[in-house]
Amino acid sequence: MEEIIYKTENGNTRVIEKMIVSKFFEDLKHRMDFELLCSKGLDQRYFNQRDLHRPGLALAGFVKLFTHEKIQILGNTENYYLLSLSEEGRRSAFNKVFEFPIPCIIVTNGNTVFPEMLELCKEKNIPLAVTGLNTTDAIHLISGYLDEMFAPEISVHGSMVDVYGIGMLFTGKSGIGKSEIALDLIERGHRLVADDTVKINRIAENILVARGHSNLKHFMEIRGVGILDVREMFGIRAVRVQKRLEVQVDLQLWDGKEEYERLGLDEQLTGILDVKIPLIRLPIYPGKNITVIAEAIALNQLLKIYGYDAAKEFSEKLTKEIQNKQALSTKVVDTYLERDFE
Amino acid sequence: MLEKEVVVTNHAGIHARPSALLVKMASRFDAEVFLSCEGTEVNAKSIMSVMMLAAALGSVVKIRTEGADEVEALRAIEALFASKFNED
Repeated sequence: MEEIIYKTENGNTRVIEKMIVSKFFEDLKHRMDFELLCSKGLDQRYFNQRDLHRPGLALAGFVKLFTHEKIQILGNTENYYLLSLSEEGRRSAFNKVFEFPIPCIIVTNGNTVFPEMLELCKEKNIPLAVTGLNTTDAIHLISGYLDEMFAPEISVHGSMVDVYGIGMLFTGKSGIGKSEIALDLIERGHRLVADDTVKINRIAENILVARGHSNLKHFMEIRGVGILDVREMFGIRAVRVQKRLEVQVDLQLWDGKEEYERLGLDEQLTGILDVKIPLIRLPIYPGKNITVIAEAIALNQLLKIYGYDAAKEFSEKLTKEIQNKQALSTKVVDTYLERDFE
Repeated sequence: MLEKEVVVTNHAGIHARPSALLVKMASRFDAEVFLSCEGTEVNAKSIMSVMMLAAALGSVVKIRTEGADEVEALRAIEALFASKFNED
């Protein structure tokens, strides 16, 4: 069985449709220190929810709106409640809850698992594991993992470089020189994230993270030369595995008819996975040093992040200057009037 | 070569945004376009130069165009001044 089933949204966005429970346990077993008490159903059960659920109410008998399709976390609250019941009471509570196709159950705080629960899990093929972590830590860790796994992803044709700590994505037509610019930036001490195919994930509401394809690693193709291994050539400091995407630089062949940004007062934005990031349309022509411009873009972006916008600053200064000039000319009128002895 | 004097009529003068409009307009023509104000002449296709003029409301600016499409260039720049750069 396939571990993860993907689906495509909006034409080019890949999201997880469902994921097999065994992969979840496999990926987290070291971090969570799981003790798998019931492994039945591990390879048959899929889940499709990134959220977790604590089934306290369901155990108490209220199963309306019970989000059974989520991973169920049994913390201290549930444990104490179950302890307060008789064995018979627990059995009926479990019976009611386990009627639902639950993906798996995780007991936190290293709490002892009730034999009747384990028995029922085995009967119903519901995987059950215990972790020594407390509930908050366990939920935090699992949520982080699931958020990352379920993050929507797109693949973009371009080069991703970390320039002075700013994640820059270079896009543009095939053959315009994206890889060459990346190579030049690496030569100047910046770090390659990915070349040719860049995978971008939205890991939080407004955060994009770019990384390379696992097959491509840090290989790149330079036209006329062939395939290069950047990590081998320039060493470990020339590469990095992933980087937050902060600016997109779209390279375009210079066109005299096209109007390019001259001031930088109005930031153009691009939407990748619905996250707005600055877009710079950069006209290029032979002999133009894009690398230096890329560095300048990165530094300017850093200044903006730190609250200094050069274009705005300059514009305000100029406006003030013009106002002063105007004030001066009215002053001349004032002096004239002062000397008007009518 | 053509020359014409215009007056800055928009309230805020030739600040950053009008300068950008001027430069973009001037760049559309093959003709050379110059602006001068208070005795300083600058290339109208260079934004920093145009902003340097810092022409205020009421300033007299001389437009000078030179080249194949100098007539059209002069007319376009003049129109831009007349439109108050879409301000006010």
